[in-house]
Amino acid sequence: MPARSQHLLPFSGLLSGSCPGSLPPLQFRSLLLLLVLASQSVSSAIAQDAVATAPVNDRWNQQVVPLLQQHCFSCHGPDSQESGLRLDTLAGLNSGGHSGPPVIPGQPEESLLLVAVRKIDSSLQMPPEGRLTPEQIRILEEWIQTGAVHADGPVQPVVPAAPYDPQEAARFWSLRPLVRPAVPTVEGPQIRTPIDAFINHELQKRGLRQNAVADRLTLFRRAASQLTGLPPSPQQITEFLADSSPEALDRAVDRLLASPHYGERWARHWLDVVRYADSNGLDENIAHGNAWRYRNYVINSFNADKPFNQFLREQLAGDLLTEDQPDPVVRNERLIATGFLSLGPKVLAEGDERKLHLDIIDEQLDTIGRSMLGLTIGCARCHDHKFDPISQADYYSLAGIFLSTKTMESLKRIAKWNENSIATDADRSALTIHQERVAAKKAEVDTFLATASAAAGQPIPEDQLSAEQKTRLQQLREELKALESATPELPTAMGVAEGTIDSARILPRGNHLAPGRRVPRGLPLVLDPERTLQIPDSHSGRLELANWVVGPANPLTARVIVNRVWRWHFGRGLAASTDNFGKLGEPPLHPELLDWLAVEFVESGWSLKALHRLILRSQTWQLSSTRDNAAADSDPDNHLHWRWSVQRLGAEAVRDFVLAACGQLDPTMGQSMLHVKNREFLFDHTSKDGTRYDSFRRSIYLPVIRNNLYDAMSLFDCTDGAVPNGDRGSSTVASQALFLMNSPLVLQAAENLARQLLEQSPDFAVRADQLLLRTLGRSATPVDIQNLQQAAEKLTRQLQLEAQARGADAGAAAAATSSCPTGDPGGLSPASFSGDHSELAVWTSLCQTFLMSNEFLYIR
Amino acid sequence: MQAFPCSRRQALKSTAVGFGSLAFSAMCHSAAAEDAGRSPFHFAPRARRVIFMFMKGGPSQVDTFDYKPRLQQDDGKPLPFAKPRVQFAPTGNLLGSPWRFRPRGESGIPVSDLFPHVSECVDDICFLNSVHGTNAAHGGAALKLHTGSDNFVRPSMGAWVSYGLGTENQNLPSFITICPTLAHGGLNNWGSAFLPARNQGIPLGVASQPATAAAVKYISNDRWSPSAQRLQLDLLQQLNRDHSQTIPAEPDLEARAATWELAFRMQNEMPRLQDLSQETAATQQLYGLDDKVTENFARQCLMARRFAEAGVRFIQVTHSDAFVQWDQHGDLRKGHSKNALEVDRPIAGLLKDLKQRGLLHDTLVLWGGEFGRTPTAQGTTDGRDHNPEGFTMWMAGGGVRGGMRYGATDEYGYYAQENPMHIHDVHATLLHILGLDHLKLTWRHAGRDFRLTDVAGTVHDRIFA
Repeated sequence: MPARSQHLLPFSGLLSGSCPGSLPPLQFRSLLLLLVLASQSVSSAIAQDAVATAPVNDRWNQQVVPLLQQHCFSCHGPDSQESGLRLDTLAGLNSGGHSGPPVIPGQPEESLLLVAVRKIDSSLQMPPEGRLTPEQIRILEEWIQTGAVHADGPVQPVVPAAPYDPQEAARFWSLRPLVRPAVPTVEGPQIRTPIDAFINHELQKRGLRQNAVADRLTLFRRAASQLTGLPPSPQQITEFLADSSPEALDRAVDRLLASPHYGERWARHWLDVVRYADSNGLDENIAHGNAWRYRNYVINSFNADKPFNQFLREQLAGDLLTEDQPDPVVRNERLIATGFLSLGPKVLAEGDERKLHLDIIDEQLDTIGRSMLGLTIGCARCHDHKFDPISQADYYSLAGIFLSTKTMESLKRIAKWNENSIATDADRSALTIHQERVAAKKAEVDTFLATASAAAGQPIPEDQLSAEQKTRLQQLREELKALESATPELPTAMGVAEGTIDSARILPRGNHLAPGRRVPRGLPLVLDPERTLQIPDSHSGRLELANWVVGPANPLTARVIVNRVWRWHFGRGLAASTDNFGKLGEPPLHPELLDWLAVEFVESGWSLKALHRLILRSQTWQLSSTRDNAAADSDPDNHLHWRWSVQRLGAEAVRDFVLAACGQLDPTMGQSMLHVKNREFLFDHTSKDGTRYDSFRRSIYLPVIRNNLYDAMSLFDCTDGAVPNGDRGSSTVASQALFLMNSPLVLQAAENLARQLLEQSPDFAVRADQLLLRTLGRSATPVDIQNLQQAAEKLTRQLQLEAQARGADAGAAAAATSSCPTGDPGGLSPASFSGDHSELAVWTSLCQTFLMSNEFLYIR
Repeated sequence: MQAFPCSRRQALKSTAVGFGSLAFSAMCHSAAAEDAGRSPFHFAPRARRVIFMFMKGGPSQVDTFDYKPRLQQDDGKPLPFAKPRVQFAPTGNLLGSPWRFRPRGESGIPVSDLFPHVSECVDDICFLNSVHGTNAAHGGAALKLHTGSDNFVRPSMGAWVSYGLGTENQNLPSFITICPTLAHGGLNNWGSAFLPARNQGIPLGVASQPATAAAVKYISNDRWSPSAQRLQLDLLQQLNRDHSQTIPAEPDLEARAATWELAFRMQNEMPRLQDLSQETAATQQLYGLDDKVTENFARQCLMARRFAEAGVRFIQVTHSDAFVQWDQHGDLRKGHSKNALEVDRPIAGLLKDLKQRGLLHDTLVLWGGEFGRTPTAQGTTDGRDHNPEGFTMWMAGGGVRGGMRYGATDEYGYYAQENPMHIHDVHATLLHILGLDHLKLTWRHAGRDFRLTDVAGTVHDRIFA
């Protein structure tokens, strides 16, 4: 050991207690000065510092080195540098190890060395065996407090430079400042709106031209399905056709946008992006019993055309926007909005609470990044982002904001998320009134017993009451029990609050057991190179973040949302990777159009409905889907918008279209449809699925159960509710065919429609026309009617044959009336259909066939 | 084996056809032509399919396949080294195994008396005694085992295999999971996450149902006879033909046309495959179909063999009752005896049957739970806590060495010590056996390439025959 220490510190042998002989203090100091001055590696300026801090310097040699030698140098010295850390040299102290510099001069509390030796942090404890004495810890504290001077000079921790040049990085297409581009001058009848100018400008460069617009009914079905998620009803079609003015479609669009079904349709898009679900999923699948409040908040916000910037601010920091808000409805709405931050899947049974906490923050950052900014921030948790200008320091600057936010009530297994009270005075007084009723009922029971005793002249045991009295007592007790169990719960909503304000430490390699240097809360450098975002020590910084997200300094948010809206109308974003505007995303084919739309959107006051009108008025949105050989050869995937790309109905729309076309849709706007209480298990160990979907309300109101999505949704590519996804797939799998062929939902809907058609008219052609109008949004052609008639004849013959084959039993079975149970699970009893070769069976089959047809399932 | 050249093409994400499809090759003919004949394999495959027998709850390694004489000696003494930093629940002193171990087979590998029938197959089995994971709770550990991640939704290993190898039977899904549990990860454990939907596992029933009720959802129709349904599909195809005249050739619409026919054939094919009455009495007996105790799991195992024969790539069977089956925090003796009795004969039956039919050599059988159990005691009666630090899984067939113990835990069976094999390593090794390089089997999602093994995974090639 002595040899080693002499090797690493030429002076230490002289200065420490092992020094042979004893030099008087004065000589000692002179010697030190001499040695320092003689050292070639030390500049004169530092030498002067060394002179000035000579007594402090003594501390290093006399006090610090001996204890480091005793406890630390064997692993963090000249022979071994575990975790890259060397504590004996100034260079080693400056650069630090994998976790960063161990010492911040003047700040013992911030110095990892102190954190480690105090053993206060379970993730960083040194030395591994034993511990320093309080006196030794005090020595280190004082050494750091007084400037942490090494024999070679004061420690100057090296802060690593950002791994990118923010000016250079900000030149990337998505990060450039948002400026309104000039609309290209393009001549032609197709140019109805600037959108068409941008699109046709690109097409003309390639010698291509757009299709003509589609026919009116095709456009109306397209508009109705896109804006409300429902097929146009025969009444709507009649109304639309009655308006022969050139503005008929505009007016129809206005009517659709004003319908409450608009919010139900477009809220669902946003719920995809925010990974909405009514259960936690992952390991402990317990109910998000109050998530529906957030879902309804989103629906209402879309219906009200709430400015999108305000909508985002509320979701990030609604709880901080309530203070001067006297209206309790608005106040609660803003608390509910922060459910956005709480909805993520969490490993609630994670035993490592620190890891759980950091995982939750990571999920929040990932969601905010992808949903609002189009950035994959989560990639920088363990290392600087490999492709985009997001460093680990950037990540942990943002993480600090959420470290200072209270998302969880408890991290202890099984962890609990936070819920905010949204009780109104009315709720509270209702509770008080109910509690008074309970108390009164209790008193009634007591009085009854007291009266009985009084009558008997002595306390009377209950079993000695008369039969009549017993009955009465039981009745009273049952009433009490019913009252008690009906006690209203004060409503709460998933959401966040301000937490303990703290900044985050960088975790090299994402290892929460080896925290590194602390970084101040703030934005990624590339997004705020001047460091203008100031977060006061009293706040988490969420409000500041929210204001920045929708502020003029941020070019991403507006670009991301207009691109999303484009995607949801056209099936493909202008930038195809809607959730990733980074280097690995796909850059837009029409960057000027994207920017023009973004500027228009912001200047319209962030109105989504204005954006829809703008898009739906364009020729580009109204194009027919017919083929043009020249265009199809050079742009088969229609990236340039020479035609309308046919789109399959989304999952919710498949079910909603089936129910609506068949006259079964229940238009009630829903609350919670979960079958279990808040925080209760959806699945315990029994794997029994109690979730019910036997409702005819719109699909958006059905529970979204992570780990066990409703198959009518998952089969048709609904999102998994676990990760943000603004670009659903549209798969074509055989299990979709099985669902449409065999599910009770579709069979019952088809029969319902058949019944209604049979009731409507005895005439085959009229029935056929209604069938097409309700399912396909158009009238039947003579060819359609002919096809249907032939099919009906064949079916009738087949069903008759089957009935004959079943023989005598058929008559009895046919007599059994078909009693369709409401809803999907449970299945149909075979008896309800067997032997049924009537018109109803034939028409049920025909109706079902139309529900399975491409013209029904695809929007052209 | 049919190459599946377009299976990895991101371009086809939106038009991928499930259950394999005749239309699939037509649909992506341009992509297919481009690299026709390219093999999906990175290496020569040792196995063509996987049967994974999942023992839900965490069977104890020290009571089954990881014999620890020292544990027996020191029964009741304190564990002489530290327990893990994060534990599921506190445990007490060492608890010796209540079961006797005997050397079995020519290899002489010791197996406890819990598995007398599996013991007869040890010379075909490679015991992985040093598997370890990271999560000490059921949900996290089950997700880790099935998907490689306990905190993100990721594709399951069956989905990766389906994606990597495609299907061998155009009328069947490439990944089937029989009676899976809905708790602790639920469909994430057989989901495809961001991989194409056709790669997800198709569940047959769930764990709360008996295997007799296990069926693909919506596979049958009480309303229409097959002939009536045929007429319906004829009309449908006519409507679709008329419709397609008005719009250009859309690959998605053409693919959909094929799915109706595929679904129609599947309605016939699946019940036929699940009909175990076609098996001989001897075969039924071999699996234990004749005994109430073993009947349910036997049914799963026999169906698995029939699916394997029919060309399904990845078949999972799950042993999970209304509780967490193998989760003996107490009553170890009673619980493990019951559990082992239910699966021992069916497992051995499957191994023997595969072997006698010449299927074992190219079928990889994987056995295990989400973690093992502590050698230390828990609870008032005999019990053991969850232990992800070191436990045993085993493989058989598919080009792995039989009669081998690979890796080892410490002398009490707590921590993986020699050749530790993380769950990621199990995945890397499994893919390798199928001819897939876990570093190259990737999918671009959310800005980067994802793998089953995340950023880890080592192939443990010493277990290969």
